[in-house]
Amino acid sequence: MTQEIVLAICSFVLALLGTLLLSALSLVVARSGSCSRSFRFETEARALTLLKGWLSPKQRACYERFRYFDVVGSHTGTRYRIHHGTQTNIEELNGTGHHVCKWCFVPDGDLVAGDVMLAQKIALETNERGALAVAHRSFVSSGPRRF
Amino acid sequence: MATQIVMDRTGDTRHTFDIHDRAEVQKAERRFLELTGAGFTAAVRSGPGEQRVIRAFDPTAEETLFYPRLVGG
Repeated sequence: MTQEIVLAICSFVLALLGTLLLSALSLVVARSGSCSRSFRFETEARALTLLKGWLSPKQRACYERFRYFDVVGSHTGTRYRIHHGTQTNIEELNGTGHHVCKWCFVPDGDLVAGDVMLAQKIALETNERGALAVAHRSFVSSGPRRF
Repeated sequence: MATQIVMDRTGDTRHTFDIHDRAEVQKAERRFLELTGAGFTAAVRSGPGEQRVIRAFDPTAEETLFYPRLVGG
Protein backbone atom coordinates (compact mmCIF):
# COMPACT_ATOMS: atom_id res chain seq x y z
CA MET A 1 0.00 0.00 0.00
CA THR A 2 2.82 2.40 0.99
CA GLN A 3 4.70 1.52 -2.21
CA GLU A 4 1.65 2.40 -4.30
CA ILE A 5 1.39 5.79 -2.60
CA VAL A 6 5.09 6.51 -3.20
CA LEU A 7 4.76 5.45 -6.82
CA ALA A 8 1.75 7.71 -7.31
CA ILE A 9 3.57 10.67 -5.74
CA CYS A 10 6.64 10.04 -7.91
CA SER A 11 4.48 9.86 -11.05
CA PHE A 12 2.75 13.09 -10.12
CA VAL A 13 6.06 14.87 -9.46
CA LEU A 14 7.50 13.61 -12.76
CA ALA A 15 4.43 14.74 -14.69
CA LEU A 16 4.62 18.14 -13.01
CA LEU A 17 8.31 18.50 -13.86
CA GLY A 18 7.64 17.48 -17.47
CA THR A 19 4.88 20.08 -17.80
CA LEU A 20 7.09 22.80 -16.31
CA LEU A 21 9.95 21.87 -18.64
CA LEU A 22 7.68 21.97 -21.71
CA SER A 23 6.27 25.35 -20.67
CA ALA A 24 9.76 26.79 -20.22
CA LEU A 25 10.82 25.42 -23.60
CA SER A 26 7.77 26.93 -25.34
CA LEU A 27 8.52 30.28 -23.74
CA VAL A 28 12.13 30.23 -24.94
CA VAL A 29 11.08 29.30 -28.47
CA ALA A 30 8.39 32.00 -28.55
CA ARG A 31 10.81 34.66 -27.28
CA SER A 32 13.44 33.60 -29.77
CA GLY A 33 10.94 33.89 -32.64
CA SER A 34 9.78 37.27 -31.42
CA CYS A 35 13.37 38.59 -31.18
CA SER A 36 14.10 37.25 -34.65
CA ARG A 37 11.00 38.96 -36.10
CA SER A 38 11.89 42.20 -34.34
CA PHE A 39 15.49 42.03 -35.64
CA ARG A 40 14.25 41.38 -39.18
CA PHE A 41 11.82 44.30 -38.96
CA GLU A 42 14.58 46.68 -37.80
CA THR A 43 16.90 45.43 -40.54
CA GLU A 44 14.22 45.95 -43.20
CA ALA A 45 13.50 49.45 -41.91
CA ARG A 46 17.19 50.43 -41.88
CA ALA A 47 17.70 49.14 -45.42
CA LEU A 48 14.63 51.00 -46.71
CA THR A 49 15.87 54.23 -45.14
CA LEU A 50 19.20 53.74 -46.90
CA LEU A 51 17.47 52.98 -50.21
CA LYS A 52 15.28 56.09 -50.04
CA GLY A 53 18.36 58.22 -49.37
CA TRP A 54 19.87 57.06 -52.67
CA LEU A 55 16.74 57.34 -54.82
CA SER A 56 16.00 60.45 -56.86
CA PRO A 57 12.98 62.45 -55.64
CA LYS A 58 10.93 61.01 -58.51
CA GLN A 59 11.98 57.44 -57.79
CA ARG A 60 11.31 57.90 -54.08
CA ALA A 61 7.84 59.32 -54.67
CA CYS A 62 7.03 56.45 -57.03
CA TYR A 63 8.32 53.83 -54.60
CA GLU A 64 6.39 55.28 -51.67
CA ARG A 65 3.19 55.25 -53.70
CA PHE A 66 3.47 52.04 -55.72
CA ARG A 67 6.28 50.05 -54.07
CA TYR A 68 8.33 50.17 -57.29
CA PHE A 69 10.54 52.67 -59.07
CA ASP A 70 12.02 52.93 -62.57
CA VAL A 71 15.66 53.11 -63.58
CA VAL A 72 17.32 53.62 -66.95
CA GLY A 73 20.04 51.19 -68.04
CA SER A 74 23.45 52.83 -68.37
CA HIS A 75 24.34 51.20 -71.70
CA THR A 76 21.13 50.76 -73.67
CA GLY A 77 18.82 53.36 -72.15
CA THR A 78 16.29 50.59 -71.51
CA ARG A 79 13.78 51.26 -68.76
CA TYR A 80 13.57 48.78 -65.90
CA ARG A 81 11.04 48.68 -63.12
CA ILE A 82 12.37 47.53 -59.77
CA HIS A 83 9.56 46.18 -57.62
CA HIS A 84 9.82 45.80 -53.87
CA GLY A 85 11.26 42.35 -53.28
CA THR A 86 14.35 40.22 -53.43
CA GLN A 87 13.70 37.80 -56.28
CA THR A 88 12.73 38.20 -59.94
CA ASN A 89 11.61 41.71 -59.04
CA ILE A 90 13.04 43.56 -62.05
CA GLU A 91 10.81 44.10 -65.02
CA GLU A 92 12.15 45.26 -68.40
CA LEU A 93 9.81 47.63 -70.20
CA ASN A 94 9.73 48.54 -73.87
CA GLY A 95 9.42 52.03 -75.32
CA THR A 96 5.66 52.02 -74.86
CA GLY A 97 5.84 50.87 -71.27
CA HIS A 98 4.85 47.29 -71.94
CA HIS A 99 6.31 44.34 -70.10
CA VAL A 100 9.12 42.64 -72.04
CA CYS A 101 10.58 40.21 -69.53
CA LYS A 102 11.78 39.84 -65.98
CA TRP A 103 15.35 39.83 -64.71
CA CYS A 104 16.74 38.41 -61.52
CA PHE A 105 20.09 39.28 -60.01
CA VAL A 106 20.85 40.04 -56.39
CA PRO A 107 23.83 40.95 -54.25
CA ASP A 108 25.35 37.82 -52.74
CA GLY A 109 24.30 37.05 -49.17
CA ASP A 110 21.00 37.04 -47.38
CA LEU A 111 20.19 40.73 -47.73
CA VAL A 112 16.81 42.34 -47.14
CA ALA A 113 14.67 43.97 -49.83
CA GLY A 114 15.88 47.56 -49.35
CA ASP A 115 19.51 46.58 -49.80
CA VAL A 116 18.76 44.29 -52.74
CA MET A 117 16.79 47.00 -54.59
CA LEU A 118 19.50 49.60 -53.97
CA ALA A 119 22.22 47.31 -55.32
CA GLN A 120 20.02 46.55 -58.36
CA LYS A 121 19.44 50.27 -59.00
CA ILE A 122 23.13 51.15 -58.81
CA ALA A 123 24.12 48.18 -60.96
CA LEU A 124 21.62 48.95 -63.73
CA GLU A 125 22.34 52.67 -63.71
CA THR A 126 26.13 52.31 -63.73
CA ASN A 127 26.91 48.92 -65.27
CA GLU A 128 23.83 47.57 -67.00
CA ARG A 129 25.67 44.99 -69.13
CA GLY A 130 27.65 43.66 -66.20
CA ALA A 131 24.49 43.26 -64.14
CA LEU A 132 22.53 41.53 -66.88
CA ALA A 133 25.47 39.26 -67.66
CA VAL A 134 24.98 37.48 -64.32
CA ALA A 135 21.18 37.80 -64.27
CA HIS A 136 18.56 35.19 -65.02
CA ARG A 137 15.93 36.20 -67.55
CA SER A 138 12.35 35.08 -67.39
CA PHE A 139 9.64 35.53 -69.98
CA VAL A 140 6.82 34.40 -67.73
CA SER A 141 4.23 37.14 -67.58
CA SER A 142 0.75 37.52 -66.25
CA GLY A 143 -0.24 39.03 -69.58
CA PRO A 144 0.32 42.29 -71.41
CA ARG A 145 0.72 45.18 -69.01
CA ARG A 146 1.18 48.83 -69.63
CA PHE A 147 2.78 51.13 -67.10
CA MET B 1 33.76 63.04 -41.24
CA ALA B 2 33.19 60.42 -43.92
CA THR B 3 31.25 57.16 -43.78
CA GLN B 4 31.72 53.77 -45.36
CA ILE B 5 28.45 51.83 -45.50
CA VAL B 6 28.75 48.09 -45.98
CA MET B 7 25.60 46.14 -46.81
CA ASP B 8 25.20 43.01 -44.72
CA ARG B 9 22.61 40.85 -43.01
CA THR B 10 21.92 43.54 -40.42
CA GLY B 11 20.98 45.98 -43.20
CA ASP B 12 24.33 47.71 -43.14
CA THR B 13 27.37 48.38 -41.00
CA ARG B 14 28.76 51.91 -40.91
CA HIS B 15 32.37 52.94 -40.41
CA THR B 16 32.94 56.61 -39.82
CA PHE B 17 36.35 58.21 -40.11
CA ASP B 18 37.88 61.65 -39.84
CA ILE B 19 39.25 62.65 -43.26
CA HIS B 20 41.88 64.79 -41.51
CA ASP B 21 43.20 61.92 -39.41
CA ARG B 22 45.90 60.11 -41.40
CA ALA B 23 45.66 56.86 -39.42
CA GLU B 24 41.90 56.71 -39.80
CA VAL B 25 42.12 57.43 -43.52
CA GLN B 26 44.68 54.63 -43.92
CA LYS B 27 42.40 52.26 -42.04
CA ALA B 28 39.48 53.27 -44.27
CA GLU B 29 41.62 52.72 -47.36
CA ARG B 30 42.56 49.23 -46.15
CA ARG B 31 38.89 48.47 -45.61
CA PHE B 32 38.13 49.72 -49.12
CA LEU B 33 40.79 47.45 -50.61
CA GLU B 34 39.67 44.45 -48.56
CA LEU B 35 36.03 44.86 -49.53
CA THR B 36 36.59 45.52 -53.23
CA GLY B 37 39.12 42.68 -53.26
CA ALA B 38 36.42 40.41 -51.88
CA GLY B 39 34.07 41.35 -54.72
CA PHE B 40 32.17 44.25 -53.22
CA THR B 41 31.28 47.18 -55.48
CA ALA B 42 31.92 50.66 -54.10
CA ALA B 43 29.66 53.54 -55.10
CA VAL B 44 29.43 57.19 -54.18
CA ARG B 45 26.60 59.62 -54.73
CA SER B 46 27.17 62.16 -57.47
CA GLY B 47 23.82 63.94 -57.32
CA PRO B 48 20.23 63.40 -56.23
CA GLY B 49 19.46 59.81 -57.18
CA GLU B 50 22.70 59.57 -59.12
CA GLN B 51 25.81 57.63 -58.29
CA ARG B 52 29.09 56.48 -59.74
CA VAL B 53 31.09 53.35 -59.10
CA ILE B 54 34.62 53.97 -57.87
CA ARG B 55 37.57 51.62 -58.36
CA ALA B 56 40.01 53.52 -56.15
CA PHE B 57 39.66 54.79 -52.61
CA ASP B 58 38.36 58.35 -52.44
CA PRO B 59 39.05 59.86 -49.00
CA THR B 60 37.02 62.94 -49.84
CA ALA B 61 33.82 61.02 -50.53
CA GLU B 62 31.33 61.85 -47.83
CA GLU B 63 29.60 58.49 -48.15
CA THR B 64 30.80 55.33 -49.86
CA LEU B 65 28.42 52.41 -50.21
CA PHE B 66 29.62 48.83 -50.63
CA TYR B 67 27.38 46.05 -51.90
CA PRO B 68 28.34 42.39 -52.36
CA ARG B 69 29.08 40.72 -55.69
CA LEU B 70 26.00 40.27 -57.87
CA VAL B 71 24.73 36.81 -58.63
CA GLY B 72 21.86 35.48 -60.72
CA GLY B 73 18.81 35.03 -58.53
